Amino acid sequence: MTTIKSDGTSGPISAERFTGHGAEWRDAKLSPHDAGIATSWVEQKIDRRSMLTGKDRVEDVRDAMWQLEKEGEIVIHRVSDEHQPVMVKTLYGWDKKIPTQRLWHHKSCGQCGNIPGYPASLLWLMNKLNVEYLDETDQTSCTAWNYHGSGIGNLESLAAVFLRNFHQAYVAARAQGLPDSYYYPLVHCGTSFGNYKEVRGYLIHSATLRERVKAILGKLGRLVDGKLLIPEEVVHYSEWLHVMRERINAMREIDCSEIRATIHPACHVYKMVPEDAIYDDGILGGNRVAVSTGIMQALGTQVIDYRTWYDCCGFGFRHIISEREFTRSFAIDRKIRVAVEEAQADVMIGHDTGCITTLDKNQWIAKAAGKPVELAVLADCQFAALVCGAHPYKIVQSHWHASPTEHLMEKLGIDWQAKKAEFVAYLEEVKAGKQENLYDPRRMITSGPGFKPFKPLSAAIPGANRP
Amino acid sequence: MSATTTRVQENIGDPVSDKPQVSRPQLEEIFKDIQADLRYDHELHGCLNCGICTATCPAAHYYDFSPREIVQLLWTENLEGIYDAMQEKIWACAQCYTCAARCPFGNSPGGLIMLMRETAIKHEMESAKSVLRPFSRVMLKLVSTGNQLAPDMINAEHFADWGPNISKVDAPLKLLRKAIPMPTLNTTATAWEVNLRTSVELYTIWEETGVLKQLEGIDRNLFDVIADFMDEKREDWKDFLADQEDEKDD
Repeated sequence: MTTIKSDGTSGPISAERFTGHGAEWRDAKLSPHDAGIATSWVEQKIDRRSMLTGKDRVEDVRDAMWQLEKEGEIVIHRVSDEHQPVMVKTLYGWDKKIPTQRLWHHKSCGQCGNIPGYPASLLWLMNKLNVEYLDETDQTSCTAWNYHGSGIGNLESLAAVFLRNFHQAYVAARAQGLPDSYYYPLVHCGTSFGNYKEVRGYLIHSATLRERVKAILGKLGRLVDGKLLIPEEVVHYSEWLHVMRERINAMREIDCSEIRATIHPACHVYKMVPEDAIYDDGILGGNRVAVSTGIMQALGTQVIDYRTWYDCCGFGFRHIISEREFTRSFAIDRKIRVAVEEAQADVMIGHDTGCITTLDKNQWIAKAAGKPVELAVLADCQFAALVCGAHPYKIVQSHWHASPTEHLMEKLGIDWQAKKAEFVAYLEEVKAGKQENLYDPRRMITSGPGFKPFKPLSAAIPGANRP
Repeated sequence: MSATTTRVQENIGDPVSDKPQVSRPQLEEIFKDIQADLRYDHELHGCLNCGICTATCPAAHYYDFSPREIVQLLWTENLEGIYDAMQEKIWACAQCYTCAARCPFGNSPGGLIMLMRETAIKHEMESAKSVLRPFSRVMLKLVSTGNQLAPDMINAEHFADWGPNISKVDAPLKLLRKAIPMPTLNTTATAWEVNLRTSVELYTIWEETGVLKQLEGIDRNLFDVIADFMDEKREDWKDFLADQEDEKDD
């Protein structure tokens, strides 16, 4: 197979270029000239990365952040060597440190409330990889879903919530007799991730905003040496998954080579503060955000391209709650139907709360309306856990998904009926108070009613999270 | 950061609008409030009407809505047009920020819409009250617990279009939640168990940042319910602290 280069000559196509057509792809056998005509305009004009980078006025906000710390304005929560960071490249080739150990889970209200297998799969993978973490009760959501949906809230409230939650991540280890900054926050939700990065930028640039929220954080007792605490990096779980992808693949138990996967990149992960999203020259030529695609390729699936990959899911923040006519039309017509009919996908993989909810839950109504379209929808970490041997119901919690995950499991060779029967039997044990947990429940309360200090296992011991 | 100074002195207006006339001082006050946000200058740099934002906008597929139009109204300081857009159009935006990622000028139409939504709430516009009425259940949960979505909110009554079964395993919600292997998630009224101190700190944030005032203006009944919640939790926290003191004394 050949392609036309920009200088007009032809040559072999790069293996990692937009190869995402899957095993059933057949060459149209166009002449080099005709192929050039057919694709050159698209390649020139619809180069997504150039759409994002072809602008000025872009700066690395972290430069100003370090300067503020130097001037004694703020304290920075660093990603230290103990967090065992892996360096990645972002949109403009800047470095970003992704911590891989000692993580504080900043949960997502939508994931935990609606698709609990999402965080459970992530924690399960971390247990398998002996990653130490803390999942505690002292945290709020970022409150940005409500803000984007209703307009109730404001920049100050978003900033105060951000700083409050990240301060708690900084001091959380005190409850275990461990030092401050022991854990580093890992943000589960895409909207929280985008919102926190945006808010961090405004905090760094606006002395007025800093002054206003400093008064509030002071009242809460959440300053460090009388200063605001700002994280060196805002890190999304999909970034952790991305840098751990080869280690996760090493644990894989199921062959995924026949799986045709489509990726839905989340808007608030890479369109908000786009300069901080990970781009990897080894993944789709570095032209699209690397998270999710990276792990799915590492696991050996066929990542299939589809023409509406760039569209949002239709969540809409307000619409998903009170105007789902828009949400379901968009989700079905612009995403699911295209992935099914054009990409002949087995699964759509996402990395954000709202997208998974929207794409998964809105398929039933299409059937009811006489326009059936079916496609399994999972988060990247759920798929990874599933093929690494996680229980599809106890861990991946696939029963909360409305989409046909059973079809996907059958293609992966998983006997979902047997697994479901195991889970139903397990519910009897749960009734008797014998449920299995991913970590010692005593760890989850770090202050206030119910808190009992205890000496945890050493962090050096593999499986220190566990009961 | 100072607000942008006025670029167009005279209001262009909308000659075909059949909306009731709003006084010029009121229109100016609304625009001033939008402009006063420190994000305004960061999110509006100029506009050549290229329409890339609208071409890529999901809401524009389904609504009479165009991010290009919103940016133009703000850029040209069309005060009546801004007011009109705040009645309905701004609520169509899906907040995906695709427009912001694509705009050659670095504008953020989605971000500007948030400033307009906040202002619509500040001015207690009837349109905002009406649009947000179905959202009140979510706001109650969010403001009182810090979680926007809770398992007990997802039911066939409110999400009939998601199918007859919320779970493919037929068992009581409480049991299914208990079977999630993360102890923080063994809850039904909140997405995760929320520490009492967390709630009390969140209430301080709401008060100090004017969010409760916003809420009071938009839905007085909801505000009253939330105020009761807050009083109760604050009492619980005080009791806890008092118990701690007693234990120390013993």
